[in-house]
Amino acid sequence: MAAPTPTAPDVTKPFDIVATYNELLRSDPDLTMPIAAIEALVLLLTHSPSSTISETLDLLEKSTTHLKKSIPNPIGLSAGTDLFQRYLITTLQRPGQLGPAGDFNAIRAHLLSNGRLFIRRAKESRDKIAAFGRGFIRDGSTVLTNGGSRVVASLLQKAADEKRFKVIYVLSPAKANDGDASPGGDVEGMETVRELRANGVPVATIPESAVAYSLGKADVVIVGAEGVVENGGIVSRMGTYQIGLLAKAMGKPFYVVAESHKFVRIYPLGQYDLPIEQHVINYQTAEDIPDGSKQQSLAHSSDVVDFTPPHLISALITDSGVLTPSAVSEELIKIWF
Amino acid sequence: MAQPVDSSLNLSPSESAAPAPQPPSAPEMQPSNGAAKPSKPPKQQPKQAPNADSGPASAAGGENLSPAELKKRAKAEKQARRAKEKADKEQGGAAPGGPSATASAKKSSSGGGGGAGGKDAASGAQQKGQRHRRGSAQAGAQGPAAEKKKKQEDKSVAVFGHLYGQPRRTTVAGAGKEVHPAVLALGLQMRDYVVCGSSARCVATLLAFKRVIESYTTPLGTSLPRHLTTHLSHQITYLSTCRPLSISQGNAIRALKLEISSIDPSVPEATAKSTLSDFIDSFIREKITVADQVIAGSAAQKIQDGDVIVTYAGSSIVKQTLLTAFKQGKKFRVSIIDSRPLFEGKSMARTLAKAGLDVQYSLVNAVSHAIKDATKVFLGAHGMTSNGRLYSRVGTALVAMSAKERAGGVEVPVIVCCETVKFTDRVALDSIVVNEIADADELVINQPPQQVTGIPDSKAAATAQPDTKKGGNKASSQTSPPEPNLASLNGSSPLANWKETPNLQLLNILYDVTPAEYVDMVVTEMGSLPPSAVPIVHRMSTNL
Repeated sequence: MAAPTPTAPDVTKPFDIVATYNELLRSDPDLTMPIAAIEALVLLLTHSPSSTISETLDLLEKSTTHLKKSIPNPIGLSAGTDLFQRYLITTLQRPGQLGPAGDFNAIRAHLLSNGRLFIRRAKESRDKIAAFGRGFIRDGSTVLTNGGSRVVASLLQKAADEKRFKVIYVLSPAKANDGDASPGGDVEGMETVRELRANGVPVATIPESAVAYSLGKADVVIVGAEGVVENGGIVSRMGTYQIGLLAKAMGKPFYVVAESHKFVRIYPLGQYDLPIEQHVINYQTAEDIPDGSKQQSLAHSSDVVDFTPPHLISALITDSGVLTPSAVSEELIKIWF
Repeated sequence: MAQPVDSSLNLSPSESAAPAPQPPSAPEMQPSNGAAKPSKPPKQQPKQAPNADSGPASAAGGENLSPAELKKRAKAEKQARRAKEKADKEQGGAAPGGPSATASAKKSSSGGGGGAGGKDAASGAQQKGQRHRRGSAQAGAQGPAAEKKKKQEDKSVAVFGHLYGQPRRTTVAGAGKEVHPAVLALGLQMRDYVVCGSSARCVATLLAFKRVIESYTTPLGTSLPRHLTTHLSHQITYLSTCRPLSISQGNAIRALKLEISSIDPSVPEATAKSTLSDFIDSFIREKITVADQVIAGSAAQKIQDGDVIVTYAGSSIVKQTLLTAFKQGKKFRVSIIDSRPLFEGKSMARTLAKAGLDVQYSLVNAVSHAIKDATKVFLGAHGMTSNGRLYSRVGTALVAMSAKERAGGVEVPVIVCCETVKFTDRVALDSIVVNEIADADELVINQPPQQVTGIPDSKAAATAQPDTKKGGNKASSQTSPPEPNLASLNGSSPLANWKETPNLQLLNILYDVTPAEYVDMVVTEMGSLPPSAVPIVHRMSTNL
């Protein structure tokens, strides 16, 4: 908007959507991927000099694909970009001042302010979820959870204010043994463990290999999600699927906590049907390994995800209420049609 | 589907000037003479013997029925008699030969004479052959033991008793004068499975109705929106007597009627008619043609290199999906599972193989083998019910369940391709309450090995090979009626005289219901859904 230069490349160069996205995620630890994506897109619109609707949509489309390509796991992100694009199109189609006939600058101002409003609301949704989810944690119960989900953390914190319960926290096997002793930021979830302990909640940390052993002591399993897919299943950090399977086998309720902006329009049929490339399973013989240690770490990087099918999930606690997995598609259809 | 056989049975004696008047039941008895080849005078003597034998035998069998069974039987007889009277009235009214032709056909099968009479005789005989044993009405008049025996056993399978309605219409005789020729033809085509498959029937119906509307003129003193609906109702009634309407047909008709009733009566007739045909065209385009393309496109995305796709019977949309994926350069194998008596998978197998796909074809008996190396199952649909269940060709549930049970329900996804026009707000808990029963005689017939396409093999007919099949006869009987009869008479199928065999019932059910748990994904033109989302999408697509 500031300086419309004659050549297009000059305009897009100063604004790098990928860098903005990464910067946003780094600067605000509370930000989720879809929200960061939306915020980056809003920023993109403020920086871009486009003055027609189709130009805007085109720009949006291009930057979205660019962003998706340059991030290793774009599932969570695409929930945000799809939502924003959808919202934009419906706003533009609506008749009236903001419709196709209206003044484009007004439309843009409206979009930007609404985009910001959306981001603020999304952040608030965690409180809503905590309110809905509190009831699922009973006095004297034991909760098993994993990962570094911020929604789960806020739910547990809220519940700790009024209830007494114990938490079994599943941590990545490498660091779990020396639990609290490990350097804080390294292990996903260690932050939450410390905060909960500070609030007087007894927390036990276990490695992933001890889930089956410990599940007998837990009453309920609560996990976060990176994306909630159309059939009601979730895409979540590696290890969630096996917890789901074990919980099902042991008859423990398995709840997923997720904001509704994490609903993604993909329909995976199984682990290997996710729209991302993951090299979790690497077959190797001795000759294939020049320096053995490197390959190992890849499989355990925090980026890898798995898919938990809907039949393992008892309910999804979202900011639009507590949903059964089958209700997710209903919610998604409502957004999309 | 016994008609061609029966009809020629009736005709051949008359044409060859049959010597002795046969007992009325003879035409139906004949199949029991397994070896009888030509229907020549001498051969008819031996025929009588088995008849006489079987009469008492089954009568004896009937004796030890319990009172409750007797009561049930009496009830069934009464019902059958009523149905018979109704059918007679219908048939008699329109038949050119009038009651006399029908009567002669019944009484001595030598009456027929002219073409019209012969046709009538054929239909008369068919009626006798129907499972309702409508012959009982004549029993009073003729009273022979053979007739009596017929009513003794109800050949409808008890659990499905409610599904045996009027037997399917076999001729255009008796159709109302309002019925358009295009609809008349379509009715018979649907009855003979020439037009088969939920989408094909829906499109064909709409196209026929378009012609009905084109040739329609509003009678004086009424308006198009009011009268056209009733005019169409005649066509619909006729179609449903040929074969019960499919869910897609029902939905399309409902949409069309709604459109008709929303026409302003003051609009000139020509304008209204062109509006309606535009509506039909766009309905077909949006709900079927384009929808199929969208579905094929998005379902093809689910096919990956190295997949082994299992599919059941012949679904046009699955075929389109597989071809689309193949054109995208994906490398996969297809395993088609098929079943008697329709063998719908054969044409699919041929089309895919011709296109260059790697196709394996097996019957449903081999399902556990075929499913062994499957990675995905693609199924077509007749309909999706509001509780997310799949209502499709009988055998589908078996395939879906085998796929799910094989690997603990995780690894083999079952994908249903279905246009939203096939969604219904009905709920199906089992495949008993709502279903369709086809003529049980279709099960008796073995397809000749050389017959893949349904095209008559003239060589085989000429050499009087054992082509006991219905399909073969159907086609060849048009050219040379007597010959196929001979072949069919040799009764190579042990079931050939099932109607006379006591305690034997045949069930030719057309559909079954697959529980929602066995379906992972429904691909529609509005996106991919879990089966539980079917009612929501149905509500949305009907409200729009």
